[in-house]
Amino acid sequence: MDSLVSLRGVTRTVVLPDEQKLHILRGIDLEISAGDHTAIIGRSGCGKSTLLNLLGLLDVPTSGELRFVGTPVLQLRGNARARLRGSTVGFVFQQFNLLPGRSALDNVITPLLYARGRDFLRRRELAMDMLDRVGLAGRARTMPNMLSGGEQQRVAIARALVRRPRLILADEPTGALDVETGQLVMALLDEVATESAAALVTITHDSNVAALARSRYRLDAGVLQPTDGLTPSEPAPPESELSEPVASEPDSSEVLP
Amino acid sequence: MIGFMSAMVEAWQELRINKVRILLALLGVALSVAALTSVVGVGNLAREGFKASSERNGGRSATLGLGVNGPTQPDPARLDAAYQSIVDRYGIAFSTHEGHAEQPFQFPRGVQPVQLMVVDPGYEVIHRLELQQGSWFASDDEQRLAPAVVVSEAFYNAAGRPNLALQPGIKTAGEQESNAVIIGVVPDTWPDAPPAAYILSGAARQMGVNQLGGQFKVWVPDAQAEMLSAAIQADLAQQFPEMHIMAQRMDFAAQGDPLAPVQLVVGGIAGLVLLLGAVGMLNISMVTVRYRVREIGIRRSFGATSGRIFLGVMMESVVATAVAGLAGVMVAVAVVKHPWIQSKVAPALSQYPPFPIEAAMLGFGAAVLVGALAGAIPALVAVRVKVIDAIRF
Repeated sequence: MDSLVSLRGVTRTVVLPDEQKLHILRGIDLEISAGDHTAIIGRSGCGKSTLLNLLGLLDVPTSGELRFVGTPVLQLRGNARARLRGSTVGFVFQQFNLLPGRSALDNVITPLLYARGRDFLRRRELAMDMLDRVGLAGRARTMPNMLSGGEQQRVAIARALVRRPRLILADEPTGALDVETGQLVMALLDEVATESAAALVTITHDSNVAALARSRYRLDAGVLQPTDGLTPSEPAPPESELSEPVASEPDSSEVLP
Repeated sequence: MIGFMSAMVEAWQELRINKVRILLALLGVALSVAALTSVVGVGNLAREGFKASSERNGGRSATLGLGVNGPTQPDPARLDAAYQSIVDRYGIAFSTHEGHAEQPFQFPRGVQPVQLMVVDPGYEVIHRLELQQGSWFASDDEQRLAPAVVVSEAFYNAAGRPNLALQPGIKTAGEQESNAVIIGVVPDTWPDAPPAAYILSGAARQMGVNQLGGQFKVWVPDAQAEMLSAAIQADLAQQFPEMHIMAQRMDFAAQGDPLAPVQLVVGGIAGLVLLLGAVGMLNISMVTVRYRVREIGIRRSFGATSGRIFLGVMMESVVATAVAGLAGVMVAVAVVKHPWIQSKVAPALSQYPPFPIEAAMLGFGAAVLVGALAGAIPALVAVRVKVIDAIRF
C-alpha cells in the first residue's frame, strides 16, 4: 500500500529563551498508509502534540524527511501546506474546539469554506449529510453550548470528516469525555474512518483508547517505538521514566490516567 | 472567485454572530457617512438653487454685459446699431437689452408702481426664466398695438389673476396711459416681492417708458468669454471714442463657487467624525481578533491560508462598514430629498435635481475605505497568529 505520510529520521528542536536547545522529537521513523489505524501513546510533555502537528502539516521538522502523499513537506510553502492540509487532513481535538456562537451545522460547514468548486457550493448539503452520519441531523441548528460533551465531539468528528480527508488526526479525542461516551466516540471515529478508507492516527495517553488501534507506538522523551501487546489495563509509563525534561509543549493541562 | 465568495460568507457569519457589538461600533460610521453624504447632497442642492437664482439675476454662464457711458449719453439708435453689429459679427444667438423703469399700472384696487424690466426675447434664455403660465415674448410681439407684458406672480395677484387665454388687458397709469396685455406669469424673485413686469424694448419705446439706465447682454460660450469680452470692448471703443466702455461677465459663475469653502469645512468635520468612527472600529476589531485567536487557529487547521485569514478578518470590517455606509447614504437621501429641507436650501428651484450619485458614491466609498483601513491592522495581527499556540489558546 502507498505511504500516505512518511517520516524518516525526523527531529524537532526548539531554541529556548536562554539559547539552550530543547530536543522534542528525536529520529522519528513512521509510515502511515491509507486505512491504517494507529495509536501513539505517551505521557504529557513527551512530544505527542509536536508529532501530531508535524503529521498535520501545522509544523515542519528541524531535520529529517517528512513526505506527505509523496511530497517532501519542506519543499512546500505555507499556503501550499495549508491547502494540502485542508484537503487531506481532518483534525479532532481533545477540547472539541467547536466555534462558539455557530450552530452545529455552521461548525461542520467551516472546513468547506476553504474548499473550492462543488464542495464549497454544496457545503450545506455535505455538512447535513455528515451530521446525519454521526447521528446529529436533528441537532443541526443547536449551538455547541447546548450539546453534551459526546455530542460536541461527534460534531467535531463530522467537521473533521466533511472534506473526506485521507488522514484523520485525533488529539486525545476522549480526553474530555467519560469512559462510556469516550468508547462510543472512538467506535464512531473508527467506523467512519474505515468507511472512507482514511488513515486514523490517535494520540492519547489512555491505553484503553490506544488498544483499539491496529498499530501502536509509544513516544517517550521524543523517541518513537512500536509497541505490541499493549492491553487496556497497561498504564502509561510513570513520570520518572522520562530521561530528560521536555517541558516546552503547551499541553501541560493533560493528566495521566 | 470562490475564495472571495467564501471570505464574504465567513465575514457575514461573523457579523451575524457579533451583531450587537458590531452594530454599536458601526453607529458612528453610519452617522458620519450620513453627515458626509448629506453635506455633499445639500451642498449640491444649494449650489443648484444658487445657480438658478444667480442665473435669474445675472444670466447664464457666460453672460457679458455691454454698456457705453460718458459725460453725455450716446444716441440710443446708434448704440442699438452698434450692439446689433456685434451680435451679427460674432454670431451671437441670444442677446437682450436690459433696462429698468418704474411704471404705474392701474390695478383693480388702485394704481401701484411696478418695476418694469425692458428686455428682448433672448432675455428668457439668458436668464433661464421659467414661466408659471402663459408664454414668453415672441419676436413679433413688438408689433402689437397693445404691448405685451410678462408679469410677476405679485403683479398677477394684484391684477386679480385673470385668465391668460382671454388675453387680459391692464392699463398703465401716469402721463401716457395705454393698454397692455398680460401674456405670461413668472415666479416672484423673492417672497413678498413688489409687482414687477417685463416688456419688450421696442414696445417700451413706443409707450415712451423712461428707462433708468440699462445695458445690453449677450450669451457667449464659456471658453470664448474672455476673448470676446476684449474684442467687443475694442469694437465699441472704436465706435464710441472717449466714452467709458463696459464689456464684462455678469454671471455669478465668473466669481467662482461661493459654497465651496462652507462645504469644505463641513465636509472636513464629517471626515474627522468618520475617522473617529474608524478608530472605534479598529479598536473593536483589535479586541475581537485577540479574543478570536483560538478560532483563527482552528480555521488554519482546516486549511485556511494566511491570505484567507487576512481577507476574512478584513472583509468582516469592510462588509460591516459597507452596510453602515449604505445605511448612512439612505439617511442622507432621506434628509436631502425631504421637501422641507429642499424648500429651505434651494427656494429658487421649482424642480429639484435628483440626489447626486457622486455624493452617494463618496459616502459609500468612504465607508468601505474606513472598513478596509480599520480591518487591515487586525487582519495582519490575525495572520501572525501561530496556529499551534492558537489551537491550545
